[in-house]
Amino acid sequence: MEFAVGPAGSLGLRLVFSETPSPSLTYGLLSIQTQAQRQFAGALVDSVVGYTTLTLFFQPLALDRERAQHWLEERATSLRVTANEPEASCKTVTLPVLYHSSVAPDLEWLAEEKNLSVDDVIERHSGCAYFAYATGFAPGFCYLGTVDAQLTTPRLTTPRASVEAGSVAIADRQTAVYPCVSPGGWRLIGACPTPLFDLASNPTARIAVGDSVKFEPVTMADYRALKAKLNKA
Amino acid sequence: MRTLTLIRSGIASTIQDSGRAGHQRNGIPPSGAMDNYALRAGQYCFGHGDNEAALEFAYGDLAFVTSHNCRFIVTGAPTVVTIGNTERDSGKIEEAVENQVVTVKPRGQGIYSYLHVEGGFDTPLQLGSRSTSPRERIGGVEGRYLRDGDTLPLGSGTRPHVTQCPTPITVQDRDLLSLRFVPGFQFDAFSPAAKQALDNGTFSVTPRANRMGIALEGDPVNTGVQSLLSEATCYGAVQIPPDGKPIILLNDRQTVGGYPKAGAVIEADCQRLVQSRPGQRVQLVPITPQEADRITWLEHHYIETKLS
Repeated sequence: MEFAVGPAGSLGLRLVFSETPSPSLTYGLLSIQTQAQRQFAGALVDSVVGYTTLTLFFQPLALDRERAQHWLEERATSLRVTANEPEASCKTVTLPVLYHSSVAPDLEWLAEEKNLSVDDVIERHSGCAYFAYATGFAPGFCYLGTVDAQLTTPRLTTPRASVEAGSVAIADRQTAVYPCVSPGGWRLIGACPTPLFDLASNPTARIAVGDSVKFEPVTMADYRALKAKLNKA
Repeated sequence: MRTLTLIRSGIASTIQDSGRAGHQRNGIPPSGAMDNYALRAGQYCFGHGDNEAALEFAYGDLAFVTSHNCRFIVTGAPTVVTIGNTERDSGKIEEAVENQVVTVKPRGQGIYSYLHVEGGFDTPLQLGSRSTSPRERIGGVEGRYLRDGDTLPLGSGTRPHVTQCPTPITVQDRDLLSLRFVPGFQFDAFSPAAKQALDNGTFSVTPRANRMGIALEGDPVNTGVQSLLSEATCYGAVQIPPDGKPIILLNDRQTVGGYPKAGAVIEADCQRLVQSRPGQRVQLVPITPQEADRITWLEHHYIETKLS
């Protein structure tokens, strides 16, 4: 596999693969991330896995650039193209979703646009497992792929000023759940009552890079019951 | 309970410590004091640790009262501190008198000042830090900017062990501020014209500046590079959006981004940039990672010697 290692700012190193993103590549990056935590211990401030990248951030004065770069190159060389194993921490997350126009302003629009029935859209969106490639944008926000080619839709030209927390959204061939109220340009096709981010939980984010995510359609009654239960808790 | 109440909360005021490390993988920015040296100088005066927070405020405008006699210091951008009829320049330990208003006024230099109080601000630690990330609504007071009338809990137990604070090195009048940056991967793919524009190119600081980043004005830099798959953003990243005007990403930046990046400005120069007012002329200067390491080493040792 082709890769490069280089600086990410004055206190970081970045490993970049030129492959297209895949679960196997992500598992490989996660494995190097785990090893880096052991290797550099207290010198490492943080590390972030992106679609095809692993970025390591070091404490000032704690980065031995040449050695760390060499170590990363060695790890990257030993990575396989396919069939990297998931890390022990990778899990499957099932999220209940209400697909209904009362909570999803773009659901009927998308069905019409794609010449599908609303039920078809729901079946195509909830019929497969998604892979968590990257986090960012907001705490607990995870970029999930890959959305059925029939549902591919561009972002809104003008993002909405405010998107409800729990909104399930599509952009291009990615899907995601907005963890909190925020501006957003993705198309909204459902609502998930489960919190995606909680400061009091450990880990704080429900979905981590490398996880599999399944959406499970629920009825309006179930959705309301779940919301009520969470509000009480 | 010992408290401090804000009569005038000022501009973009938040509770900040040295930042929240280790949570960028979950989409949480590090935040923390914009002028870290000024924060550390104040922490040093009171023997405070990394987690001991200060009140960060922009453009030197603040008024407060305390519930008890209480020593404090204002560090960072220089200000004038008024207690009763006495006016003094900031940078020295002062004593606030119970229920008597203390006002802080700007002296027209720098941006961010820090109010450090005996005992420290006792707002809750969240994920190991007291720093406020307003967009994420984490830390400080309900995760938000401070407002007039906010009452902040104070701790006890720490007392100043010096009377005067080391001079801020971040706030200085400069004709031209050098922003030395370490080029990243995408710099190689930039068009020759873009590389030339960034190599010793002169820009100026715009008013589009906040805790997330500082936008620069100058001849547009047309990178010729398309948006990329999202990857982690670093402190000081020189991000070039489609309009060609560089934005330097700072403490409250989004944790990932897909715009092309020329590289990242070194920590030492970012500290001076955050204290620069709109109109300040800056020059982007590419340096090698080894040079960056050497400057980081020198700067940290300089700060350590000043603060020991």
